[in-house]
Amino acid sequence: MTTRQNRKPELLAPAGNLEKLKFAIHYGADAVYIGGKQFGLRAKAGNFSFEDMREGVEFANRYGAKVYVAANIIAHNENLNGAQEYFKSLYDIGIAAVIIADPALITACREGAPDLEIHISTQASIANWRTVQFWKNEGIPRVVLAREVSLEEIKEMKEKVDIEIEAFIHGAMCISYSGRCVLSNHMTSRDANRGGCAQSCRWNYDLFEDGTDGSINISEKADEAYTMSSQDLSMVEHLPDILELGVDSLKIEGRMKSIHYVATVVNVYRKIIDTYFDDPENYKLDQAWVDEIWKAAQRSLTTAFYYDEPTEKDQLFGKPDRIPKYDFAGLVLDYDEGTQIATIQQRNSFKVGDEIEFFGPNFYHFKQTIDEIWDEQGIQVDIARHPMMITKVKVKQPVRYYDMMRKRK
Amino acid sequence: MITSYRPELIATARDLEELKTLANVGADAITIGHQSFGLRVTGDFELDEIRRATTFLHRSNKKVYIVMNAIFHNKDLVELPTYIKQLIEIEVDGIICGDPSIFPILDEIDLSIPVFWNPETLSTNYETLKFWQSKGIKRAILSNELALDAIIDIKNEVKIPVEIQVHGMTCIFQSKRKLVTNYYNHIQDSYSRDKRLHLKQFNEAESNYPVFEDCNGTHIMSNEDLCMIENLQPILDAGIDSIRINGMFKSRSYNQAIVTLYREAIDLFLTDRYQYNSFNYLNSLRQRIASIQPEDRLLDTGFYFKEQIY
Repeated sequence: MTTRQNRKPELLAPAGNLEKLKFAIHYGADAVYIGGKQFGLRAKAGNFSFEDMREGVEFANRYGAKVYVAANIIAHNENLNGAQEYFKSLYDIGIAAVIIADPALITACREGAPDLEIHISTQASIANWRTVQFWKNEGIPRVVLAREVSLEEIKEMKEKVDIEIEAFIHGAMCISYSGRCVLSNHMTSRDANRGGCAQSCRWNYDLFEDGTDGSINISEKADEAYTMSSQDLSMVEHLPDILELGVDSLKIEGRMKSIHYVATVVNVYRKIIDTYFDDPENYKLDQAWVDEIWKAAQRSLTTAFYYDEPTEKDQLFGKPDRIPKYDFAGLVLDYDEGTQIATIQQRNSFKVGDEIEFFGPNFYHFKQTIDEIWDEQGIQVDIARHPMMITKVKVKQPVRYYDMMRKRK
Repeated sequence: MITSYRPELIATARDLEELKTLANVGADAITIGHQSFGLRVTGDFELDEIRRATTFLHRSNKKVYIVMNAIFHNKDLVELPTYIKQLIEIEVDGIICGDPSIFPILDEIDLSIPVFWNPETLSTNYETLKFWQSKGIKRAILSNELALDAIIDIKNEVKIPVEIQVHGMTCIFQSKRKLVTNYYNHIQDSYSRDKRLHLKQFNEAESNYPVFEDCNGTHIMSNEDLCMIENLQPILDAGIDSIRINGMFKSRSYNQAIVTLYREAIDLFLTDRYQYNSFNYLNSLRQRIASIQPEDRLLDTGFYFKEQIY
């Protein structure tokens, strides 16, 4: 039985810093997840000070969006100091929920901020409905599923347990069960489960067959390194399948990713969700959405475990696939309707003659060639080479603050 | 110091024959199971073999624990209640679990059996273990990536018994994917699960990470074999309740010799710690292990004396 869902799920986007948070929300995310300075897994992401969080929450509130904080480390004893106070601060700031993997932090959160909502992280590898039920019994309102579950399994979870389910729809993935890999710890002494992951799974290895007369290097024989790198998840072509299950929150991975990535991917999924719910019966995939997703793709794309168990075709071997890469060339700050001139803050160098594309929320797009560039003093220049320099560019269609200009690398 | 303290020495067994041998040379308990429910069992035990193992071990006052700590998916839940009921009927001494599904399942069948908690990489601090203790676990099996100091702090903080691994290889990676099969398919070769395989890391000379597939996916094991036989003092002084030898991928004679040695070393430490700590004795332990240690398997002390960064 497929019940037609008439409630839109939440579109949940990553935000590695305050600027990314604003873009994610402006481009259509209903909620963002961020990391604080402590207890989060992305040690190298920008991460938020309490001050940044306050500003982020204020910005989000203006759009009716929510901010979640990932506190998803697997803690060692010494990491627990200050956890209660940390959660209390998050609650006071107006953070809507925390994403936790380690039950120690559930305890700390309940003591420090009893009213702060807790979501169980994908790092806890929730892969069956009884485990979902366990967390429901613990008073947890939402679980983030393991990336190893299929749509069929999600369906059964939804049928058997009344709880909010959050599932990934896009982004990079651990090839292991998340949280069950300590390759990085063993190979580099960097603790993956506390934010130090060295991505050892994506390295090249030799595979040996061990016989009684010694070992044979299979990789050398085949001239192909053994590797365990996964393609990236994308449900762009299949979103209705997950929408129809009544999944409550659709999550995009990538707190380390660029503004261009976040804005582009959020924009596409926002468009798909809205189009579907406007008229589910007549929903049709638009190739432009798929093309757009590829402009932010860093690896080939897969549906991972959602339909079938992944095979070698869902992994990356040998040289990386050639995917055209795009740069975030400029941010629109202002637009003068009379002169059709946009004020653009340079984010990557662009010059006269470049083929560029403007895009903005609601899947607004147009392409043009750069004909003329003026610098802040109004002097005509051939190239905008200085980072963050303010330029004026003549545009073929209206643009608005927060629209972006991209350029093929 | 409690004079009656005697740590439990646990071994794994591939079959009934090895189980009997290892119990006879000094293991206090044996961990067994089936890959349909447990992670990285050394051999698959069907229920009738578990029954025979239990009868044998109980006759000599020893314990049997059933490993069933797989990350379960919906379809695995179908068989689980029956399996657990049968284990309870057989009167095994504990089940080793790592998936929270076990708690609602036990509630549902309304039976009880000691649950030992082993979620592998996730058992890393005492507050976590206190949480699971409040759900009813009867033993905390700690992650291997912990410093000994941290283990001692955990032991001092939690009321339930604590178990750690002291010897053998450890698991460092689990994927649900068939990563070996996938690779062989990619290079258009064929893989049979009987093949013994290992990975070598490009930048690490002579590295040897065993890799294999079973119904739980792909597993990668540590480059070194953990060996704490010369460092039993801090473990036993801390009163760690159970210490475990993992006999995976080792010969029967090796496992028998290792259990024998640990039995001897533990007993000597408990009766005469000065003798145990003497240069001559520790040296002899080292030499006796070196004489049976496979050439391609280095020994080390894992993370027990190592700093990690993050």
